[in-house]
Amino acid sequence: MSFARAACAAIAAMLILAACDQPGSDGRDRVVYRHAIDGMPASLDPAHAANVYSSTLVVNLYDTLFRYRYLSRPYELAPNLASGMPEVSEDGLTWTIRLRENVRFADDPAFPDNRGREVTASDVVYSLGRHFDPATRSQGAWLWRGKITGLEEWIDGGADPDRRIPGLHAADDMTVVIELTEPYPQLAHTLAMALSAIVPREAVEHYGREFGVRPVGSGPFLLKQFDETRAVLKRNLDFDRGALDLAAEGHDPQRHAELGLGSLDGEAYPFIDRLEIHFIAEPTTRWNSFVAGEVDNVMVPPEQADRVLDSHDPLRFSPEIEQRYHTLAEPEAGFVLYGFNMANEDIGHHPDEQIDSANRALRCAMRQAFDWQERNDTFYQGLGQVFPGVIPPFLDAFDPALDAGSTARDPQQARSLLQAHEWTPETLPQLTYGLEASVHQRQMFEQFRARMSAVGIPQDRLRSRSFASFGDFSRAIANRELDLFLMGWTMAWPDAQYALQLFYGPNAAPGANSFNYDNPEFDRLFERAAALEEGEERTALYRQLNEMVIDDCVHIGSLSRTRLHLWHRHVRMLPDREMLGGYFLRFVDIGAAP
Amino acid sequence: MTPRIELLRFITRKLAAALPLIFGVTLISFTLTVHFGPDPAYAMLGKNPTAADVAALQRELGQDQPFWQRYASYLHRLATLDLGHTESSGEKVRDLLGRTLPVSIRLLAPGFVLGTGLALLLAMFAAWHRGGRLDRLITGISVIGMSLSFVIIIIALQAVFGVWLGWFPVRGWEVHGPASYLAHVTIPTLAFVLASIGYNTRFFRAMLVNAMSTDHVRTARAYGASPTHIMRYHVLRGCLLPITTRIVYSVPALAISGSLLLESHFSIPGIGRVTYQAILSGDQPVLMAVVGLSAVAFALTVTVADLLCRLADPRIRLA
Repeated sequence: MSFARAACAAIAAMLILAACDQPGSDGRDRVVYRHAIDGMPASLDPAHAANVYSSTLVVNLYDTLFRYRYLSRPYELAPNLASGMPEVSEDGLTWTIRLRENVRFADDPAFPDNRGREVTASDVVYSLGRHFDPATRSQGAWLWRGKITGLEEWIDGGADPDRRIPGLHAADDMTVVIELTEPYPQLAHTLAMALSAIVPREAVEHYGREFGVRPVGSGPFLLKQFDETRAVLKRNLDFDRGALDLAAEGHDPQRHAELGLGSLDGEAYPFIDRLEIHFIAEPTTRWNSFVAGEVDNVMVPPEQADRVLDSHDPLRFSPEIEQRYHTLAEPEAGFVLYGFNMANEDIGHHPDEQIDSANRALRCAMRQAFDWQERNDTFYQGLGQVFPGVIPPFLDAFDPALDAGSTARDPQQARSLLQAHEWTPETLPQLTYGLEASVHQRQMFEQFRARMSAVGIPQDRLRSRSFASFGDFSRAIANRELDLFLMGWTMAWPDAQYALQLFYGPNAAPGANSFNYDNPEFDRLFERAAALEEGEERTALYRQLNEMVIDDCVHIGSLSRTRLHLWHRHVRMLPDREMLGGYFLRFVDIGAAP
Repeated sequence: MTPRIELLRFITRKLAAALPLIFGVTLISFTLTVHFGPDPAYAMLGKNPTAADVAALQRELGQDQPFWQRYASYLHRLATLDLGHTESSGEKVRDLLGRTLPVSIRLLAPGFVLGTGLALLLAMFAAWHRGGRLDRLITGISVIGMSLSFVIIIIALQAVFGVWLGWFPVRGWEVHGPASYLAHVTIPTLAFVLASIGYNTRFFRAMLVNAMSTDHVRTARAYGASPTHIMRYHVLRGCLLPITTRIVYSVPALAISGSLLLESHFSIPGIGRVTYQAILSGDQPVLMAVVGLSAVAFALTVTVADLLCRLADPRIRLA
């Protein structure tokens, strides 16, 4: 066969192949938004939706009673499945929540005749109650444990969904009543979390363990396909929440002018027919995919920030990037910090006052020896925001006047503290620094050790212990095996209580208080503050608690990273990853592509 | 004994000999996973668990059962192909493997066939022109191919063909027909070929050069046989044994490790990616299913390799 004949045969074969191809989406999916995130959800069961990847999908497949307003900052709650905000009794102990009528679960074989039924108050009760069945393997039970009247007895009795929970019941088909053991103003926030999404009992029982990959909800989208690389969702035609009220969602015509959202006001949402969520962990692939137009947004990782920025301080995107894409730079709703294990008497609490005081001095010296600005410049391109304590700047309770000395490197003071308490290389304890096995974490450890070394803490006093997975790292912290560790804390609701619970005594490891900080005065004030409604008194208490943590040198920190978002010009939206985000996706619209 | 019965006895004997191998591999991997692998319980717990929560989850995961009971239960599940559910999503492991394995095969097969074929062809040219310019050129290119990082090759191909030229998708696996298959498989295949061709060419060339130095090849040349005839009937046949062994033995490793980078960087839902995620999260049902089935696949591969060697060189006895 000549070359020409072979080439003709090859071209003919290609044409036949092309003709055989069937498109993946049906022709009615006219408006498609392709959203990229940097990780994949392990499960779509709301009881497991404790991270941003699962939440992003779950809040779009299921309904929660409340949600956050699309554009309001600071974040504000709004009714979602609930028909209004909760009615709370004067003593703050009884919450009455009424549901919207005519909201239906999606059609599914789990229901008789495959026809979804109306969502009722019993579904809310069941959805919260199933968190306490060990078979659910819930990640959210802690949100309500000890808060609801009679819950513990109900759990001890086997957490039978057919038995009534005294403090959580349906007053009628459309009204849920929650009776609390103590005021819990954060309850409304927990009911906006994906963990609290409403599931039908029929589907949970029908699919058993596989419920995590076969969601049946009443949210704005229905799942069509889900694998390790993407989820494809289609608009739920039965989802009806009326028209978008931009003003109520916090739209500011000036601040949001660039986004082009005005034309959506008064229109019924969701606006897209098909939502694709692509799980792309590799930053370079994510960027290439965005530039090639395969996905509509990208969150630029810090190491690639120079690619899109003209200036770091003040933060400014390059003109070419501004011209081609929508841009957004915002601090994360969370922070990273170093923590000490206060349960270790070599560095933490000690019954002997003198030793306790020396230990505190050692912790404070280490804090003053560390250089947060250097950490920020080395690993976060200088884009992070360093702040004292654990109340991040995006919260109302953040105190801009708080002395930032605890985050400033002061080697002289560090040496003085060590000297004053007679710490010498020989008397310093051997400390175990835990890290997940990665080049990045190892580099951070070396940077930390170098800073300690500079104030006279010998390198051999800090020993690293690496872990292959996050689970193993968490286990070591939970078992109090590490003396020093770097951790991240993502806020799930915009209230400083969520950050300060990290130091609440009863939350000690394996709970969120990984530091095992034990201060009865802190606990007393925390309990008092946590029960208060938002206001000056609560803010003052939060600030006081924050200062106690700083004074006791329980941690070294903190730093909030800055997120850089880009999205194509024809996409009308304001992306939001915070508060375990995802609600904004129902408001995304696509204009004509350039 | 007829050759057919001899062959059957051989296969039976080989497979029986594989049983201790499978038993050993599963026991070692199970021990390593249980005692040294990631503990899924702590990754699955919520943000604020109590000690009772930890204990309840460990009970739910079966971690409170004795080691031998867990191992026996695992072997039973493996033998009956009842592989249980993943710890993460709850999906049946059998469904997960059934969904991802075909994707990996379709992803890797073209690169494997093309890479091996092309390497053999280049090795033949290089060997025939040993010491000449062509040999030096091919050897030089092979060394460059061996020196380049697989990740760099992938990123460069994505940037050139996906972003700059826009001919192929940067990533994804939206395959719903032959044309979309070609579109999605081309860059991964190219990356795979570029990454593997250097090693294969060097190995094949060395084998061919060795075979070309033998007396019977020199005799064939002295008789005036054509280069094609000599290469096909005298040289290739002579080194079919090591080449076949290398090719066959590379299959199991390729199925897991070869697919990992491609599937991660091209966002392809194959078994390599699933296995990697399971390793990180300590998803024992998935890990143990992959390890167990890989051991079985390896045992089968050894048997097939021995059979092919017998076909390639009849002097090898099946006994």
